[in-house]
Amino acid sequence: MSLWVIAEHTLREAVRRRVVLAAAVVIGGFLALYGVGVWFGYRDIATDPDLTMSMRRVIVGFMLQGGMWSLNFVASLLAIFLAVGSISGEIDQGTMHAVAARPVRRCYIVLGKFLGNLLLLTVFIGVSTAVMIAIVAIITGQYAERAWTAPFAMLFAAAILLAVTIAGSTRLGTLANGVVVFTLYAVALVGGVIEQIGNFLDNPVTFDIGIATSVLLPTRALWDLAGTQLAQQSASTTGMTGGPFSSLNPPSGWMLLVAAVYLALALAYAVRAFQRRDI
Amino acid sequence: MDQAAIHATGLHKSFGETHAVRGVDLSVPRGEVFGFLGPNGAGKSTVVKIILGLVKAGAGDVTVLGHPAGSLAARRQIGFLPETFRFHQWMHASEFLDFHGRLAGLDRDARGRRVPEMLELVGLAQRRRDRLSTFSKGMLQRIGLAQALLAEPPLVVLDEPTSALDPIGRRDVRDIIRALRAAGTTVFLNSHLLSEVEQVCDQVAIINRGRVVAAGDLRQLLAAREVELRLGEGADAALRAAGLQPLAAQPDDCRYTLTASSDEEIARITAHIAGAGVSIYEVQVRSNSLEDLFVRLADSTDQ
Repeated sequence: MSLWVIAEHTLREAVRRRVVLAAAVVIGGFLALYGVGVWFGYRDIATDPDLTMSMRRVIVGFMLQGGMWSLNFVASLLAIFLAVGSISGEIDQGTMHAVAARPVRRCYIVLGKFLGNLLLLTVFIGVSTAVMIAIVAIITGQYAERAWTAPFAMLFAAAILLAVTIAGSTRLGTLANGVVVFTLYAVALVGGVIEQIGNFLDNPVTFDIGIATSVLLPTRALWDLAGTQLAQQSASTTGMTGGPFSSLNPPSGWMLLVAAVYLALALAYAVRAFQRRDI
Repeated sequence: MDQAAIHATGLHKSFGETHAVRGVDLSVPRGEVFGFLGPNGAGKSTVVKIILGLVKAGAGDVTVLGHPAGSLAARRQIGFLPETFRFHQWMHASEFLDFHGRLAGLDRDARGRRVPEMLELVGLAQRRRDRLSTFSKGMLQRIGLAQALLAEPPLVVLDEPTSALDPIGRRDVRDIIRALRAAGTTVFLNSHLLSEVEQVCDQVAIINRGRVVAAGDLRQLLAAREVELRLGEGADAALRAAGLQPLAAQPDDCRYTLTASSDEEIARITAHIAGAGVSIYEVQVRSNSLEDLFVRLADSTDQ
């Protein structure tokens, strides 16, 4: 009961403070621009006599992947911004005192904030990716069969960022927490590129460094999972690449297990740290 | 059944090298208004937060109506108005109270009844649809009071409940506190406004430097008076012979200050002195105000 009260409160706050409106306006504008870009891009691709049908399909896959990468990036930033001051910010402002003095378990305060923000991210990722996949399918007539699974991987990554940010917020002030989480996210992002380079060069040390950054924060590994669902399966055989943030290699099952454990540990830490904290 | 609404023994709390609370013992009787006083930095807020479970004590025990402080059972018994009265400003007044009602475990019917009642009580019924961001400090303090009383808790902890209110608002809050007492609610009042405490409290505890330096029935604490005497020759010997130890003495001016707990004791002192053949030229009796007591205790424990 209290868990849902806090979750609902968190959702209401995001709506009332116009976070949802701002995100909807920005993403609406982005999707409109993206649609125009795909329209003109596909017109050239479709009329280029040098491209085979298979290559056209791969390029369209990369167009979808690129757009979805942007949505994934925005969802990641949204996860960080929503949660960056969720605990410490409320303690500093004094709004936590009246709430925490109520007969509510502190774990429900933490998990309620997580759940409320996760619901918001679910709507954001669900709607924006559905619109983007539809734009590409309508304009190009192409639909990657497993594209619908990509938003789940993106949501998983956003959930991890959310949990890590809330965990940080139980110990760090808003600014310090933002710096730490965003740096972690950037390291994981760049680490993914290093991993790709290591794979391309067949260099195990470079490859392992990339893997290590994924263990530090497995968001990039989850993007790799989403990306591979979006690209055409024939892409890897053409030798074409969609750029450093594109993905053709899905993470191993072990990495997904690491990500699941990571999420659970981040939430457990957040709960434990807040239970021990003086307010 | 434990008779105390709040019972604390041997409370200690340190923040790093700072010892905020050093062995506080408190007993707040049920159904009374208890004033908790102390200068800035004395440890009042820390003790209040320990009672509410917001801060964990380093050592010692606290029970709230028989339940360990901080437990869900204890928190169900408490309504709390924080000193900062900072609330979620994006909420409407009635929405804010409804949210706290849900956290307190009130069902929909109870919230539907209590929220308008509380808005009416604190004079904000006309502003129920307005966002808290449009409220003045005084209005925020009023809505905070409504939030504290919403679930009809048997113990209400009010941390500086009138700091942002005008004189009419202060009087309203005093009336509310008296009404709570009449209904059997225990009120734990943390306040700097000594005149206010004097008007509504039955019991007080004064804390300084993390220790309780005086506690008890307010009327008994204030009953102690200072008696200033201007006496004739032989006063020193007469006072010594009667076993009276002056609080202050200026023998050159023949002025002596003594303490007495009642009118009868003052009569006995003067009878002793007159009986020893010492002339009494002047007797001034000064009642202790709470402010005098507060300042004297704060000064003496600071030294």
